Amino acid sequence: MNNGNETVISVKDLTKVYPAATRLLGDGGKKKLAVDRVDFEVRRGEIFGLLGPNGAGKTTTIKMLSTLLIPTSGKATVLGLDVVKDAVKLRPRINLVSGGERGLYFRLTGRQNLDFFSDMYRVPRERKKAKVQELLDQVGLGDAADIRVENYSRGMKQRLHLARGLVNDPEMLFLDEPTSGLDPEIARETRTLIRELSRKGMTIMLTTHYMFEADELCDRLAIISDGRIKALGSPFSMKESVRNDTVIEVEARDIGEVQRQGLAGLPGVSAVSMEFLEGRQLARMVVEEAGSLIPKVAALLEGRKVISIRVDQPTLEDAYIKMVNGK
Amino acid sequence: MISLRAMKAALKQQSIHFFVDPQWIIPSIIAPFIFTTVTLFLFRHAGGDLLLYAVLGGGVLGMWGNTIHSSSWSIGYDRMNGTLESIMVTPAPLSSVVFGRCLWNAFLGLLNALAVFIVAHFAFAIDVSVRDPLGFVVALFLTLLSLAVLGMIFGAFYVVTRASSAFFQMLEFPIYVLSGAVFPLVILPEWTRPFSYALPATWGAEALKISAFTGYDSLSIGLPGALGLTALTTIVYLLISFQLFTYLEKRAKVNGTLVRY
Repeated sequence: MNNGNETVISVKDLTKVYPAATRLLGDGGKKKLAVDRVDFEVRRGEIFGLLGPNGAGKTTTIKMLSTLLIPTSGKATVLGLDVVKDAVKLRPRINLVSGGERGLYFRLTGRQNLDFFSDMYRVPRERKKAKVQELLDQVGLGDAADIRVENYSRGMKQRLHLARGLVNDPEMLFLDEPTSGLDPEIARETRTLIRELSRKGMTIMLTTHYMFEADELCDRLAIISDGRIKALGSPFSMKESVRNDTVIEVEARDIGEVQRQGLAGLPGVSAVSMEFLEGRQLARMVVEEAGSLIPKVAALLEGRKVISIRVDQPTLEDAYIKMVNGK
Repeated sequence: MISLRAMKAALKQQSIHFFVDPQWIIPSIIAPFIFTTVTLFLFRHAGGDLLLYAVLGGGVLGMWGNTIHSSSWSIGYDRMNGTLESIMVTPAPLSSVVFGRCLWNAFLGLLNALAVFIVAHFAFAIDVSVRDPLGFVVALFLTLLSLAVLGMIFGAFYVVTRASSAFFQMLEFPIYVLSGAVFPLVILPEWTRPFSYALPATWGAEALKISAFTGYDSLSIGLPGALGLTALTTIVYLLISFQLFTYLEKRAKVNGTLVRY
């Protein structure tokens, strides 16, 4: 739910270079450019997504904005506060939830975890007990509140993560891959909860590498790859960007990286994605015009066990592939 | 910046962990029992102050390792759990959280010491009466607190690297020696004295001995002097550790090393 045009996150030329690790023996590796001169803004009440493949720079960006990493250069403000200079003032007003099994005290109960983090955020003492219970009920853990987290399922842990992220009623919530590794039902429940928070007026920024998740949740999103923003806009506008393209889909039994590169090198092919299924491969090529290209594709794959070649309409995923891997 | 609320919450959290996590039984209950039993067995034919010195050296001071380890491991534990970032994104200063845990560790050391004295008294029928019981308890708590703060300094390095433990385990034994806990300071070379005097544990050990043995005051500072110097050096170390946390947190945020385990 977008409540207006007030900018709550402003990012300008944001860059993060991880220094080479210092080791006693060996050179310790090289510097790594994780985020490269990124610019974007997030408006109050929006769900803004950072979408990209693993290692694209999504998590690094969200950690810089939540004060856990210091940018190498550039400037970022959240709720009008500089993420480096004003970090102490900013922290009470934001929260970060990371996906995955870790990040909780497993020997403690769900209630004890929330109790501890409520103290870290100085939740008023007279409100704390009720607040913790309220959050546990909100994420459906009311009955499991006094069970140790080590006995929780993956989904319960993720819900507790979300509850932890809400102990301070943040104005701005950062979610780092909130549904990563969850089974479909739990992932759906998590997305429902995120939408509910947004409906209540919370500004949310999330990272994901699931296209459908970004499509379903986000008002706007940025596609990030190799530390650079490749595209920025609403999911609808991203789909529109490939509206005039066509997709050639090849199903075969023995094609690999060499053939993928060959297909990507054909004139008129914008991007190629390859999916490895059981005993067969599916290559999808985003092209401007399919008719003239199909004979060239067939010629390139001559001698291979091609099952089918068909023409399809581009999806949002094709748009994403084109932006991330395109020429 | 110090947050009393974060300290209190961390102390409570550490105490809950102690009661629910069986791994703490070994360093906190079984190890003191073994330390005391072995020491008392070795010194069973000695009498008077020497036997009490053995109880102090082998038993009570043997608990130092536990206090140092549990305090320095405080951040290591968060690193392992993946909770270090969850704490650092909150407004609570990490140093306050760690100090709260150190207070519990020091208190636990006091309970360990009580266990040592109970074993010595009831299982070995040893007279463990000390000259000044109140002074002894205060000295013991201050000493344990000073060690917890030392552990905090060690622990700060866990913020930047998971490889801290090996280095600090190497430093641990020299600290016992330099503080006069294992051998009297007078038998150590003269050039080691400045290092000894810089350690809060040296003054703590001195306060323990002054309060335990009649007529003991090797440095001629008396119990108030020894307690005062223990407190003073502990405060200095605490301030150093707070500064160190600020510096190392910044470094970890530049290097991106908070989550590696």
